[in-house]
Amino acid sequence: MSNFVFPRPAGEFPVQARETVAGTCAECGAAALARHPVLSEGGWHLVVKCQACLATREREPWRRLGHVTLMTDVLLR
Amino acid sequence: MMAVDVGGTFTDVVSVSGGVIRTAKVSTRAGDVDAGVIEGAAELGLAGVSVFNHASTHGLNAIITRALPKVGFLTTLGHRDMLDAGRCWRPAAALTDPSWRRSFGDAARPLVRRYLRRGIRERVKSDGSVFTPLDEAHARAELRVLAQCGVQGVAICLLNAYINGAHERRLRELVCEELGAIPCSLSSEISPLAKEYARASTTVVDAFMKIIYGDYARRLDAGLRAEGFSGQLNFADCTANLIPADDAMEAPFRVVFAGPAAGTMGSAHFGRLIDEPNLLCADVGGTSCDISVVIAGQPFVNTTFELEHDLVVNALSNDISSIGAGGGSLVAISPSGDITVGPGSAGAVPGPACYGRGGTKPTMTDICLLAGLLDPDGFAGGKMKLDPALARRAFEALDTPLSFEHRVRYAWDIGLNNIAEGIFNIAIKHGIDLRDYSLMAFGAAGPLLLPALADLIHVKCVIVPPHPGLFSALGLLSADQAYSMSRSAYTILSPAAAPGIARIYADMEARLRRRLGERADIGIVRSFDGQLMGQTWETPFVPVPAGELTGASIETMIANFHAAYAARNGNRFEAIPVQGVTYRLSAVLRTEKVTYAALPERSGSPLEPIGTSVLRFLGDTEETARIYSRDDLRAGDVIAGPAIIREGLSTTYMTRNQTGRVVRHGAIVIRRTRQGVPA
Repeated sequence: MSNFVFPRPAGEFPVQARETVAGTCAECGAAALARHPVLSEGGWHLVVKCQACLATREREPWRRLGHVTLMTDVLLR
Repeated sequence: MMAVDVGGTFTDVVSVSGGVIRTAKVSTRAGDVDAGVIEGAAELGLAGVSVFNHASTHGLNAIITRALPKVGFLTTLGHRDMLDAGRCWRPAAALTDPSWRRSFGDAARPLVRRYLRRGIRERVKSDGSVFTPLDEAHARAELRVLAQCGVQGVAICLLNAYINGAHERRLRELVCEELGAIPCSLSSEISPLAKEYARASTTVVDAFMKIIYGDYARRLDAGLRAEGFSGQLNFADCTANLIPADDAMEAPFRVVFAGPAAGTMGSAHFGRLIDEPNLLCADVGGTSCDISVVIAGQPFVNTTFELEHDLVVNALSNDISSIGAGGGSLVAISPSGDITVGPGSAGAVPGPACYGRGGTKPTMTDICLLAGLLDPDGFAGGKMKLDPALARRAFEALDTPLSFEHRVRYAWDIGLNNIAEGIFNIAIKHGIDLRDYSLMAFGAAGPLLLPALADLIHVKCVIVPPHPGLFSALGLLSADQAYSMSRSAYTILSPAAAPGIARIYADMEARLRRRLGERADIGIVRSFDGQLMGQTWETPFVPVPAGELTGASIETMIANFHAAYAARNGNRFEAIPVQGVTYRLSAVLRTEKVTYAALPERSGSPLEPIGTSVLRFLGDTEETARIYSRDDLRAGDVIAGPAIIREGLSTTYMTRNQTGRVVRHGAIVIRRTRQGVPA
């Protein structure tokens, strides 16, 4: 049913841009750190994560609705 | 024979030779546990010791404190967060608390951090057929990541592996190739039971225990033999039955919670000697009070236990409830001004204020010293001196307008009531009437605190066994070697199911006999866990008839299930089909156990007290208690309360309303004195 109402997108898939971070991962030693947002228990967080082993080096709360910027987020900045 | 019970604070060692029981108590050395065990064992002498039975909670403590090695977890792709989700159960207190988090989840303190949990592309269906073949290239890539992260062990739990473990076995081979010969636990081998979260949790705990206990068992064995030991080293499992060390280390999750179970085993064994088959067993130590039940001479056994809420291990275990109430329980004033006792404890360091090791907070031990129950010069067999002035100063420092006398009195009452509440909860859970049960009081502080509870909980009597301070360690000399196997296979019970179930039992029995060798004296007992169709929880240990399994045997199994269900739940539903879930085998090898010598009866001069003590703060007025030495007691002696009975590692306190009678095997049986009539 859903395939008729909402067909599979034909365009490009959205890709989360990841900002390269200098340094090596403390867990696996790879030079593959990147900063990007994630949605997990407790809400949206901005993390620095090793792209090789997925270990998290840093984690801080991000905007409440992630990519959706609320007026209150702008006003309270 | 010799036994050791390693606790968080103390390590207790007992030896029995020629009917003589000798004991030693040393402080547990965190980080060097085996050295303390060897020290205590050497103090008693290991020459000629035929068996050394060991129970420890240091594996459990490592899990609780998360002082764990780095372990990787492999599961079916898409399911790596099962260790975070658990069974999705909240405790009752958290049902309306949005901030509650499960203690082992990713938002709290996970056992295996998320980046070390890797999904493997494969899938086995519930009938054991392969839906997605194992993608070995994908698996190797994940294993290389784990190798880069320096994991010291791997736990593997794939969906439906309890039916078909082929993918898990192949993954172990790949682990060996990519990571070397590191400990690797497979769910299909150590716990081939349904329900993947419990199986995964058990497998992860097993991987941790293989690392923690593997080195420990080797060092312990070497250290004991260097001191002259040449016998059999056994580890106690969570039912306090004994497993030879080599066998135990193949699946060490079974020994993670052995210590508290030994007290129950010792109580059941001693209860048989004095014809007390129904017991509430309370082991009161420095930090906690462990409460368990013996019904008709047998400890109550569960098929799983929880290390923390929802942190499940599929090991047979004595049902023990622990509450934070012990001799070291801290007395404090809550933010609303109430006196609280526990659950925090002063531990061994700094310990109660009266220890003089720097502790400044009052504890139950400080109350007992101030009340006149403890001998300040004779604590711990005379090895420690207690300072009443420090205990007084600790109570005076409490921020409360209550008088000093009320602080001590109320803390005493509240401490006792905390234990009474724990006992009531156990009784309600098991549907037992406390008036039909006797309370076995042991542990360092059990005989000191528990007799005073008799008026609160109305048990039949309170029994203080011989050597109560080391009774748990003696429990390790009261058990048999036991072997068990289990496998899950959901099967609607009908005569047509007989051949399939028979094959399951035959396979398990063949493997069990290979482990045991050719012994004619082994009795193998069969049972199963079943459920009514539509249920998701099982009724465990339903008897299965011996001999060939036929259609008639299945009918008997169904009848047995309905009887067991009715005994547990009070009703039966014979119109609903019964489904067998887990099939169990157990084999017991009878071993030599500790015997308690009969005390001679008194002849000649009557029992005389060795002194008196003025008791303060425990009641409305002061009173004088007679002090006796346990070494002076003889069978048949009757002691009227208030009375204090001192021995090397324990003190018994009887209230004015109680009378104690010394029975044949040295126990003191304490009952409420009827008006003018001793019990």
